[in-house]
Amino acid sequence: MKATEEIPLHRIRRVAVLGSGVMGSRIACHLAQTGSEVLLLDLPAQEGPRDGVAAGHLRDALKSNPSPIYSKRFAGRITTGNFDDDLAKVADCDWIIEVIVERLDIKQQLFERVEQHRKPGTLITSNTSGIPIALLAKGRSDDFRKHFCGTHFFNPPRYLQLLEIIPGPETDEAVLDFFTRYGERILGKQVVRCKDTPAFIANRVGVFAIQALFHTVAEMGLNVETVDRLTGPAMGRPKSATFRTCDVVGIDTLVHVANGVAEHCPNDERREVFATPAYVQHLVSNNQLGAKSGAGFYKKVKDANGKSDILSLDLNTLEYGPQKKASFATLEAAKQVDALPERTKLLFNGQDQAGEFYRRIFTDVFAYVSHRVPEISDLPHAIDDALRAGFGWELGAFESWDAIGVVEALEVLRSRGLTVAGWVDDMLATGATTFYRNVNGVRECWNPATKAYEPLAGQEGRLSLAWLPESATVWSNSGVTLQDLGDGILNVAFHTKMNSIGSEVIQGLNKAVDLAEAGDWRGIVVSNEGAQFSAGANVGMIFMMAVEQEYDELDFAVRAFQNTMMRMRYSGVPVVAAPHGLALGGGCELCLHADKVVAHAETYMGLVEFGIGVIPAGGGTKEFVLRLNDELHDGDMRINRLRDRFLTIGQAKVSTSAHEAFELGYLREGTDEVVVNRRDQLARAKRAALELAEQGYVRPIERKDIVVAGQEGLGIVYVGAHSMMSGHYISEHDRLISEKLGTVMCGGDLSERTAVSEQYLLDLERKAFVELCMQRKTLERMQSLIQKGKILRN
Amino acid sequence: MNAYIIGGYRSAVGKSGKGAFRFTRPDDLGEQVIRKLLADFPQLDPERIDDVIVGNATPEAEQGLNIGRMVSLMGLDTEKVPGMTVNRYCASGLETIAIASAKIHAGLADCILAGGIETMSPIPFGGWRIVPNARVAKANPDWYWGMGLTAEAVANDFKVSRDEQDAFAAESHRRAAAAIDGGRFAPGIAPITVKEVYLDANEKRAERTHVVDTDEGVRRDTSVEGLARLKPVFAANGTVTAGNASQTSDGAAFVLVCSERMVKELGVEPWARLASYHVSGLEPRIMGVGPVHAVPEALKKAGLKASDLGSIELNEAFASQSVAVVRELGLDPARVNPNGGAIALGHPLGCTGSKLTVQLLHELGRTDERYGMVTMCVGTGQGAAGVFERLR
Repeated sequence: MKATEEIPLHRIRRVAVLGSGVMGSRIACHLAQTGSEVLLLDLPAQEGPRDGVAAGHLRDALKSNPSPIYSKRFAGRITTGNFDDDLAKVADCDWIIEVIVERLDIKQQLFERVEQHRKPGTLITSNTSGIPIALLAKGRSDDFRKHFCGTHFFNPPRYLQLLEIIPGPETDEAVLDFFTRYGERILGKQVVRCKDTPAFIANRVGVFAIQALFHTVAEMGLNVETVDRLTGPAMGRPKSATFRTCDVVGIDTLVHVANGVAEHCPNDERREVFATPAYVQHLVSNNQLGAKSGAGFYKKVKDANGKSDILSLDLNTLEYGPQKKASFATLEAAKQVDALPERTKLLFNGQDQAGEFYRRIFTDVFAYVSHRVPEISDLPHAIDDALRAGFGWELGAFESWDAIGVVEALEVLRSRGLTVAGWVDDMLATGATTFYRNVNGVRECWNPATKAYEPLAGQEGRLSLAWLPESATVWSNSGVTLQDLGDGILNVAFHTKMNSIGSEVIQGLNKAVDLAEAGDWRGIVVSNEGAQFSAGANVGMIFMMAVEQEYDELDFAVRAFQNTMMRMRYSGVPVVAAPHGLALGGGCELCLHADKVVAHAETYMGLVEFGIGVIPAGGGTKEFVLRLNDELHDGDMRINRLRDRFLTIGQAKVSTSAHEAFELGYLREGTDEVVVNRRDQLARAKRAALELAEQGYVRPIERKDIVVAGQEGLGIVYVGAHSMMSGHYISEHDRLISEKLGTVMCGGDLSERTAVSEQYLLDLERKAFVELCMQRKTLERMQSLIQKGKILRN
Repeated sequence: MNAYIIGGYRSAVGKSGKGAFRFTRPDDLGEQVIRKLLADFPQLDPERIDDVIVGNATPEAEQGLNIGRMVSLMGLDTEKVPGMTVNRYCASGLETIAIASAKIHAGLADCILAGGIETMSPIPFGGWRIVPNARVAKANPDWYWGMGLTAEAVANDFKVSRDEQDAFAAESHRRAAAAIDGGRFAPGIAPITVKEVYLDANEKRAERTHVVDTDEGVRRDTSVEGLARLKPVFAANGTVTAGNASQTSDGAAFVLVCSERMVKELGVEPWARLASYHVSGLEPRIMGVGPVHAVPEALKKAGLKASDLGSIELNEAFASQSVAVVRELGLDPARVNPNGGAIALGHPLGCTGSKLTVQLLHELGRTDERYGMVTMCVGTGQGAAGVFERLR
């Protein structure tokens, strides 16, 4: 493992993906959308076109939901072929990744064939999830072995952040270093460096956690649906929790991994845990493997009236029956606690059966991960990274342990007869009481080898609000915290429910501009680390005013929102918005008014106001008219472009990625940008604000030259809305909202095209909004969203 | 002065967007049909032609700039023959024959090329820029409805079920396939030479030429079951689908209309004459039943009954309106579109009236019938009907 020269990130231009199954085709999509040309190969088809297998798999992948690709246009970078006719083309590739069936002999045969065409120096990796890399490398040339390692993606590769890098015995350190950097910067992954141990890190620990839970469930006599209630979002795990996740993944897949570990890890101190309990064995032998076979731990059925219901498996009788609701004081208490670390502690200390359950499952995992250092990783945090990125845990095992208290959890752990690895005692003996700590905005983790805290790798050039010291907080209220990101950049973070925008957020945004303009701040970043950037305006507040018929107050509130958006646009310092997840309604409007948007690739943007019976009135409609105006050239057909912009709002189109947000006109080519790794986003947004400041940012001048179509555009609005209603595609109320929207977008019934100001459009927007709030059906829509979380189409 | 049709041809009908004429300009298509038609009359000095009248439903872009005059210049090798463009939407190609006949009746002309051209490939339905009058649109939005919605309204008002529409559509395909296989259209079709300049697999410029002489729209695997699986396209829970509506198409057709004097001078035997023509207006919302209003009037003018008609070409804009028209007028389904209609063969809007006329006259000859009719519904609430008498 002699280190050679660093391989530059631009080395990869073409990648060959060998194997086009579920993983192969989706890896191909992700590589294509992150900038590579991809050659996707599979076996030659028995009949039809020779490339039919790969082409068919790719077609299926592109149609699948959730989509494996940010935008269909990226699929044009993928060409398909077959192993017999096209393998020679790997000579033109810079990276070859093997994603074929998990059989050593077949993989070895393919590598032997690849070796005949591969040029020396070409990177070559396997996506195996279980076969030792050393065995795969066996028999290959020196150059092959030097450039070979494991690159293990998790399904679906676009959405699951984990990428495990596994060295072979002779892999060049430069190759591992390259994939670490490439995975993080270009592929947007959480890279975890593994050792060549069975099931690597995520599956070894993740499957242990599930298996241990299986046994606990049986011992405690809990039922399937109760366990899923206990092990879902309540403890910072995905909604599908435990058993539902098993059904989705496939119970056989899970058993396969567990058997593999049991077989290949004879010295694992909890080897017995990997033995599958009887009820799981029963499901596998009855081919009840989960979603793919129609039944697993759950079964979807339809009753005589065609109403569907989801039954759950009774683990004693092994029959399906209606789900039973259990309630636990611990769970109820936990609902009141937002912060996950505090909630974790509360769950662990619960005095009922739920508390007992949590104590067992947490301590099983704590003991297990302690013993895995240094077997599967030298550093504890790599295990946490793998669990978070691969299994969707919000807190890793060591992080949860910290939250509960290392010593407190250790007492419970020992009382259950479990043991902990010696390095944990060693750590405590030095006086250190946590695995992690933050020092001056840098996150550190205990290194058992050096017996000291060390900064986590990969933080250089990155920022996280969570790492900032308390002294960085400049101002805060109940919904917003303003923090100093350093170098004169002020961050505005929301922390309301779903990060919705209400009066406290409006106050916070104004405060940020006040401070920035009064002091010596150089720029503002709007970003947060919640699950969603912002789900939009606080509908509850609007609803209350509308129901009380306080229309003057409502007008005032909308005006305040509009003024705030205009302040973001026309502040003396640059404002950069950094959205991720949902950026809807008011959250989208905020982005529309930023000087620049640095969006995470997984950003779902949209002006969705139609869903609650109104039109965008925080400057969203105005901004669409303005952008429409600016994208037109002399002689262009204004009405057709107006129609496109109109339909984007009228159909409440939400982008399925940041890339699609450009196509929908929410983001601007040449101005806004996309960051593929969420953990790079804040630092990039800060740098973007600094760049704007350094380029000599001056307060923009308010626009008074927005040309609106007037009556020329109004006719098609009326006809379109009436036609859609007559075709039963929209309701009478939708028609009314559409006509209001169209009227604002045309600038009213002006006789000729007229240049208008932003304020003129904002006034029209606000007037239409308030008028719609006087409509009973609009109130019903708002009520439905507030009470049921559902969009009502009335 | 009597007016006689002495000859006529149509192009095959191409599928718009992906068919054989997808890049053939409408003026080029018109030119080739005219040249084929005039080749049958070498004794006619083109400069004796008084006018070229072209029906077109979307006279803009490739079809703009008075395509009637352009086709005259391109197809007649003289600058002396004028040309004009007529728009009565889907009746345009029938209207031009009526105008030509009327001008000759009035003694204003002796020889007119009348026809229709429409290539829907390059131009969106309704044109590139649709700008309804805002005041009218607010008061009467259905005046501006898309045709699909009117087809739904007809299905609804006249109780035409989805099953009836699909059955009608399947029969149209069956009849059209039989007509093509039996060579029934061949005598009326002017073969069109299409020259294509394209890039080969290595992105090298290449050329190829081929001749198009067969209609493209027929789907021989069409079945009622297959049609039943299609989703409605104009209304949620509607009954009108891509399968039971006419196809958008590219095509051109012309007839030569002459006075009695010119017929004698040329020494030809007249083929047919337009016996009567009528256009009616009705509610735009249910424009599809326009023929229900126009057909009785046209028959009355000609002094005929429906039972006198040997064959009827009823333009199949939609199966819903076709079924409603046949039923309301009590027509004999066997005599309506015996060789299939626009659902199978396509509907190149402004060309359709002329195309159906050429088809009708050949069918009357084949079956040795004397009278026949071309009729169609027309957008924005109109219906047109022309009665033809075959003379040889």
